[in-house]
Amino acid sequence: MDFSIFDYITVNTFWTILFIAHALLAVALLGALTHQAVSVLMPVRQAAGANFVTRFRAVQGAGYATAVCVLWVLTFLMGAWIYVKYRTYVRIPIENRGYWKTQGTFELKEHLVTIGLGMLPAYWYLWKNKAPEYGSARKWVTVVLAAFCWYAFLIGHILNNVRGFG
Amino acid sequence: MSTETVTSPGTVVSAPARSAVAASARVRTFVVVFSITATVVYVLCDLLGWPLFTYHPATGRLEWGYALPRRNEGPVMYWYGWVLTTAIVSTVVAALATFVPENVTRRIPLFTLWLLPVLAVPIMFWSLMNFWTK
Repeated sequence: MDFSIFDYITVNTFWTILFIAHALLAVALLGALTHQAVSVLMPVRQAAGANFVTRFRAVQGAGYATAVCVLWVLTFLMGAWIYVKYRTYVRIPIENRGYWKTQGTFELKEHLVTIGLGMLPAYWYLWKNKAPEYGSARKWVTVVLAAFCWYAFLIGHILNNVRGFG
Repeated sequence: MSTETVTSPGTVVSAPARSAVAASARVRTFVVVFSITATVVYVLCDLLGWPLFTYHPATGRLEWGYALPRRNEGPVMYWYGWVLTTAIVSTVVAALATFVPENVTRRIPLFTLWLLPVLAVPIMFWSLMNFWTK
């Protein structure tokens, strides 16, 4: 007996589930990277008894490095999967409506997340080494990755508002 | 095991002790060269059109290299091809770099790891000019 998931859910539901998984991974990645970026931009020496913002800045950034790499790769792979459907089901209607700038911002997202993927090996290495010579590079690589992640997250959200899979 | 160190005035970084992998000079060379090369190669792939393959999402067809859309087969996608080109070239270049003496590879400025991606943003923005001016 052949099993097909489409006997139980519609095609649109299938792609919507994948998109939501992609979005949830992105939320986790965004949170981890934002914590880490803030911790290197505004480090605190003593978090005990501090307020929310100070505790937000006081995380141990190194503990996030591997999780960020894994989340970035997983989010990227999920995005690459749904990109197939996006190209025909979402992008073409957006182009037909003439939303060229909206589409352009998504194309830029695709470039930034790929460049970010390439940065990950160095990012991981910089966080796994505590040598002072790596401090500046570690800080700015993290901040750039966080900026790319924020851009990607917001543009993905906007695109889904313009035309989702459902 | 965690340790804490002051890397620059006012910057406290807590990090695990170095693992054997993270302490290796060859690994350092590989990851630094890989990340720098990946940014450069991906930008070149986009600007010069170097996908390793072209994907036709409506039909599932794959073609080697750069291919134009086929009649009645919908759009084409180059991005997957660019990613694969970038991954292969960066891996080969980084692997070759590990055979270069460490005193040479140590001279690669680490600020290029973040500066090149930042410089890539306006270039990629410019490459999308068709979208901004339609």
